[in-house]
Amino acid sequence: MPKWDSDLVTSYILRSGVVVSIFFIIAGLALVVIRNGAAGYDLQQIASLNSTTVTSSMINLSDLFSGVAGFDGLYFIAFGLWVLIFTPVSVVAVSLVEFANQKNLKYVVMSLYVLSILLISIFVL
Amino acid sequence: MVGLVGVIITFLTIMLAGLFAGLVGSMTGLGGGTVLVPLLTLFFGVPIILATGASLISTIATSAGSASAFTRQKIANVKIGIGLEMATTTGAIIGSFTLYFIDRADLLWVIFILFGTVLLLSMVPTIHRSMSELPKDIPPDRTTKFFQLNGKYFDPRLKKEVEYSGVRWFQAEAVMFFAGFISGLLGIGSGALKVMGMDWAMNLPMKVTTTTSNFMIGITAATGSSIYWKLGYIQPFLASATAIGVVIGSFFGAKLLMKLTNKEIRWVFFVILSFLGWDMVFRGLSNSPIVYITIMSQTLYAILLSIVMIAIAYYWIGRSRKIAKVG
Repeated sequence: MPKWDSDLVTSYILRSGVVVSIFFIIAGLALVVIRNGAAGYDLQQIASLNSTTVTSSMINLSDLFSGVAGFDGLYFIAFGLWVLIFTPVSVVAVSLVEFANQKNLKYVVMSLYVLSILLISIFVL
Repeated sequence: MVGLVGVIITFLTIMLAGLFAGLVGSMTGLGGGTVLVPLLTLFFGVPIILATGASLISTIATSAGSASAFTRQKIANVKIGIGLEMATTTGAIIGSFTLYFIDRADLLWVIFILFGTVLLLSMVPTIHRSMSELPKDIPPDRTTKFFQLNGKYFDPRLKKEVEYSGVRWFQAEAVMFFAGFISGLLGIGSGALKVMGMDWAMNLPMKVTTTTSNFMIGITAATGSSIYWKLGYIQPFLASATAIGVVIGSFFGAKLLMKLTNKEIRWVFFVILSFLGWDMVFRGLSNSPIVYITIMSQTLYAILLSIVMIAIAYYWIGRSRKIAKVG
């Protein structure tokens, strides 16, 4: 196996995570404006800033991929924001692999702990 | 059509607020969220819960942006960062749910006061930092070896390889737990607290501390953000505007900071920060059953207090610098 530089991989993941996420967010905003709304809400509801507005709990994450495939603006934005959340998660995963390569058992355990806390917050809580 | 124009203007002004927050956040080293939440709540009337949500998720973007450069240059210590993340991520979960219960109990004015207090207190180590780049010589302790806290990096300004060994890992974990808790509770990166943990407890060089903190902020914020998402604290439109704004702002803030030869200009930003801190405290007090203060007086008190505070800090730091030079 060729030697890989985990710091460099981490750096790439971080940067591309931000770029991909911002891309989806901007595309999503454009779609919301062009189609005058998204996911059954109109533009005014989506852009309102008081507590009765469209918030994350109203976006069904199980529809995330079908929403993106259907060019729904709100799901595009949601996808961009979730790419952002998953960026640090993949960084921790890269570190885990690197510690395993180094046979650094203590840090394998520690990064496993951090990774599971992240995954629990995302999928369980 | 009027509706569309209004929406676009709202978006752009929030994006500008994000840009300003990113700029001031990176110039002062406190991070975008610390400036963003007061701006959104005090001047845009955004509910604080949605402001924290937008802030926390934007924090991931800024952290990732700057950490990308520092991991490549191998200044940030990923190993130490991951070890300390055990405490911050755990703290972030507890902090996020604490916010939920405070929201449920209708006590959000407490968050205003806490936010202001944390903002004002975080300025102390940031202002005080100035003095030395390299830490005092402290002999390695038991945790240094056990948790492999040694490292080295190349310092371009000192033009040499700096070797270091961290100490007091458990104390650092304790500070980090608190930092994570505050991050989840207030929707900020709490970089100032993370820096404190690595600087005071672990005795790491300032460069390693700040860059590793930056790397860690994203991981902590990702934990809190995914919980915030399910609680409905993230408003996609608002979060989009702030994420884009803060990313641009902190990018230019970092560039500007390198170019600044006269660091005195940073004091202007500290005045802004302390104004926001005091204004949050007064807004919280005013929303509480304790006292009522009109918005005008809130602003006035905040301006006066922040000018006095920063003037004293400026004088005090200036004097201790002079003493250091003479000695």
